[in-house]
Amino acid sequence: MGHAVTHAPATADRAAASEPRHGPARSPRPAALKRRRRRDNLAGYLFMSPWIAGFLLLTAGPMIASLYYAFTDYNLFDAPKWIGLDNFAEMFGDPRWRHSVQVTLWYVVVGTPIKLLAALGVALLLAQKRRGQAFYRAAFYAPSLIGASVSVAIVWKAIFSDDAVVDRTQKLFGVHAGGWTGDPDLIIYSLVALTVWQFGAPMVIFLAGLKQVPRELYEAADVDGAGKLRQFWNITLPMISPVLFFNVLLETIHSFQIFSSAYIVGGGAGGNACGPADGSMVYTCYLYVQGFENSRMGLASAMAWMLLVAVALVTAVLFWSQKRWVHYEEGGR
Amino acid sequence: MRQGGSMERRTILKAAGASLAVAGLGATATACGSGSGSGDGTVTIRYSWWGAEDRAQRINKTIALFEKKYPKIKVKTDFQQYADFWKKFNTQASGGNPPDVFQNAIGFLRKYDAKNVLLDLGEQVKAGNLSMDGFRAGLEKFGEVDGKLLGVPVGSNSMALVIDKPVYTRAGVTPEPGWTWDDFDAAMKRIRDRTGRAGDSGMYGVMYLYDLYLRQHGKAFFTEDALGFTEADLTDWWTKAERGVKEGVYADAKKVVQVKPKSAVSAELAGSEFTWDNFTVRYTSEGKSEYGLAPIPTTDGKKTGQYLGSLMLSASKRTQHPKEVAQFIDFMVHDPEVAKIMGYDRGVPATQAQFDAFQPDDEVNKAIAAYETSLVESGVLETITPHPSGADVCEAAFLRIAEEMALGKRSVEDAVKQFFTESKTALAG
Repeated sequence: MGHAVTHAPATADRAAASEPRHGPARSPRPAALKRRRRRDNLAGYLFMSPWIAGFLLLTAGPMIASLYYAFTDYNLFDAPKWIGLDNFAEMFGDPRWRHSVQVTLWYVVVGTPIKLLAALGVALLLAQKRRGQAFYRAAFYAPSLIGASVSVAIVWKAIFSDDAVVDRTQKLFGVHAGGWTGDPDLIIYSLVALTVWQFGAPMVIFLAGLKQVPRELYEAADVDGAGKLRQFWNITLPMISPVLFFNVLLETIHSFQIFSSAYIVGGGAGGNACGPADGSMVYTCYLYVQGFENSRMGLASAMAWMLLVAVALVTAVLFWSQKRWVHYEEGGR
Repeated sequence: MRQGGSMERRTILKAAGASLAVAGLGATATACGSGSGSGDGTVTIRYSWWGAEDRAQRINKTIALFEKKYPKIKVKTDFQQYADFWKKFNTQASGGNPPDVFQNAIGFLRKYDAKNVLLDLGEQVKAGNLSMDGFRAGLEKFGEVDGKLLGVPVGSNSMALVIDKPVYTRAGVTPEPGWTWDDFDAAMKRIRDRTGRAGDSGMYGVMYLYDLYLRQHGKAFFTEDALGFTEADLTDWWTKAERGVKEGVYADAKKVVQVKPKSAVSAELAGSEFTWDNFTVRYTSEGKSEYGLAPIPTTDGKKTGQYLGSLMLSASKRTQHPKEVAQFIDFMVHDPEVAKIMGYDRGVPATQAQFDAFQPDDEVNKAIAAYETSLVESGVLETITPHPSGADVCEAAFLRIAEEMALGKRSVEDAVKQFFTESKTALAG
């Protein structure tokens, strides 16, 4: 609406300028304006229609359908049968489901902080002017561009297998743990390593945040005799806390949704798709197994909605907590 | 009023542009749903299977032969690995768009029959488009469920103990027909002691082997609609397995997991493995050693519980070209040239004509032929009833839970309980 209002006078002016023969310039009557606006809107919606159709058919529709399926027994072939809350009851009683929740939480709680620490640490190093700065930034950012791809996951699996790079390196240090991908307890750490390796994306955001911190704050602190550590703790951290909050939020939500890398690193041909003894069975992996291997789409839908609720809750808690640790500059710079 | 007129035109132009975009979207949608027949009477059928690259190359050659003989039929192909194949197939079938003809196995007949996916090929046999004559060892009955012909066997195979021959020689172990489980256990220990390699790769998780063991005791893994054994039976089986893993008689599960999709035998982790006899072909191409076939151990010195398994070709109930599909299957199971191309890739050819057409000249394939012939002649073969719907999920759970037990993540008691819980759910669905 705001769009039409601000532009209407300009259009009227242009019309007046280009057609002086029609007497003194005047604004179109309100009724005509309204009609024209409606026509413009119609055209706008028509132009948007491919996107709207896509949204309704490919996103909104399936979401609503899956909400319905969550309360049914649905095997893809026969009509869904309404079973109320049975799917949810089964889920909570299923040790494999509880295991997948545990694996996912472990992945989020271990992986996200390490990744953010790495991102912040490298951002601090790269924030100062130094030779080859642009190269370093690009080099550190690159993994996050390709990290989610299937090919990288395949390479990752190879790196962490028996007698591969990681295994041989750890042997040099006297650690004989074998390849991580074959170990039910270690495989999850190869996934953590994969996500940490992609710290470039939050790093770039941290870099932008660090640039925003006014130099005079550091100068004042220098004059007051504050050391580097104190400056970081009392100036840098509070000043970038909104950026930190943003990164924590984004990475946490992202981590909950990990699928393709876990599916590929954990899956071999045949047998189990979720790593040895379900070692890398993150939540979405189990969802996939139930939906597509066991043809239990109703249960899988219920699991998907459960994940949505859980992520929403975590997000809400993060937003609630920000009052305590995130500082917004009034009238921001 | 000219001002109004120009506005009008602009709006119309805009609207026209937008509706063009919409029309474009619609056109793509219709294009996706277009049929498979074309004006000149040429018909296209879709054929998909699971298997490795090597199988695909052979199959493509047989299709070229078929298209030469039936110029009006074109075949579009698609293949994946076993597990991925069934996921894709399941999704396509549920969306009403399964391939016209596809590779099938005994564990899926009842499942997809219950879901109304499989075409009863009996009609096409009556119409003369498909011949069920000339099959070996009663295989023509293999794909029948409740009087319906749901699959046509392309080859037969049987469970065997696939062995690394030099390892067995070094250990001084020679399995004889009729050897018992006690003999087998002693042999595994001997291999471990003399060659430093585990005797077996992990027999405790192989559903088709446990089935044989149960049959030796008058039971079976599946009945028509449930599991054919008790928790006590499985506890015995897995207790023995757990001991074997600890003693190093069976290969380290951690290592076996990592070499997948390669087998533990060709990766030199184990001296032998219970699997289908035609897998020796694959192991030979995967590994460096020489591989052979040994008989299944028995309980009473006679009965192995074995039956012929088989890959089949099935047709989709929704196919618009049942006649062409039947002609295709007929060609693939009877044509002698096809047998020469396929070899024993999908097992020993199911029809006598194809069996005679392919005379193996290498050790590995000769051994397979000899093994199967001896089974048929010795009369040990039993018949197999098609597995209940959900059997595929049970098989996967059996393998996975056995692996968890071997990795030390579950006690035997816990593993047995978990397997029965998951199976009950799978067989009820």
